[in-house]
Amino acid sequence: MSLVSKMESKSSATSPSERRLHKELLALIKEPPPGVKVDVDSVGKNLQEWKINIDGVEGTLYEGEHFQLLFKFNNKYPFDSPEVTFIGSNIPVHPHVYSNGHICLSILTDDWSPALSVQSVCLSISSMLSSCREKKRPPDNTLYVKTCNKNPKKTKWWYHDDTV
Amino acid sequence: MGNCLKRSAADDISLLRGGNEPTRESSADPLGPPLYSEIIQPVFYPSPSVSRPASHLTEEEQVKIAKRIGLIQHLPIGSYDGCSKKSRECVICMVEFSVEEAVRYLPCMHIYHVSCIDDWLMRSLTCPSCMEPVDAALLTTYETT
Ligand SMILES: [Zn+2]
Ligand SMILES: [Zn+2]
Repeated sequence: MSLVSKMESKSSATSPSERRLHKELLALIKEPPPGVKVDVDSVGKNLQEWKINIDGVEGTLYEGEHFQLLFKFNNKYPFDSPEVTFIGSNIPVHPHVYSNGHICLSILTDDWSPALSVQSVCLSISSMLSSCREKKRPPDNTLYVKTCNKNPKKTKWWYHDDTV
Repeated sequence: MGNCLKRSAADDISLLRGGNEPTRESSADPLGPPLYSEIIQPVFYPSPSVSRPASHLTEEEQVKIAKRIGLIQHLPIGSYDGCSKKSRECVICMVEFSVEEAVRYLPCMHIYHVSCIDDWLMRSLTCPSCMEPVDAALLTTYETT
């Protein structure tokens, strides 16, 4: 709780990007959507890199699994989309998720809008997982993982159709 | 050398051939810098994922950006009246509007702080909330009125 109040008092003298990140963080801490939990320690060290834990939703192929997302923001957020990847030992096996954690999801690049938020991105990713009917890697996984840029936003995605 | 080369006199060409090749950027524009360079910050987004300082834009991109600025300036600005039916906060900065504050109205009637939405429209001519393309909506408004 002390961290929250520290942030509340800090949020006046910063850039618009930082101010918005503070607001989003407070909202995520106070009213997290089900299955989404921000790692407060990671954010406390660096406001531009958040680790977020998400749980596989009950009744889906990912029930009982736990995943971690890494959000990286630059100082043009929310005009620039965050860079979002799965990290850690459990990368979901999903047709739009590469084994290096990169996610093929149009709202993370072409369809980004500043009205989207960390929370809405988490929920989109969670529903992307939930609607999956067969656990498998993208067909081009091996080649992509070998050749891609470290930053998924540098990838020119052609989006797989949405019918997983 | 490296100073600006004027391309006025034709007989200068022989000199140029013998000496340093002028780089593209150094050829002076007879019309001077484009008008908008003083109004808006010098980095432009000819398309959402491409950002470039004003001096590196192609002519086509400059025209596109000038048109875009013209279009943005046609979008009405009003002052927030505190009306509860409208959104109470600007979804871009997530700060609540205060009464009398200047807000820009998009054709879909979504409202934003002027500086917040103008920054976004320079990258993408869409409403952040409903994704309605701003230019198409404007064109139809013009046609029906
Ligand atoms: Zn705003
Ligand atoms: Zn709208």
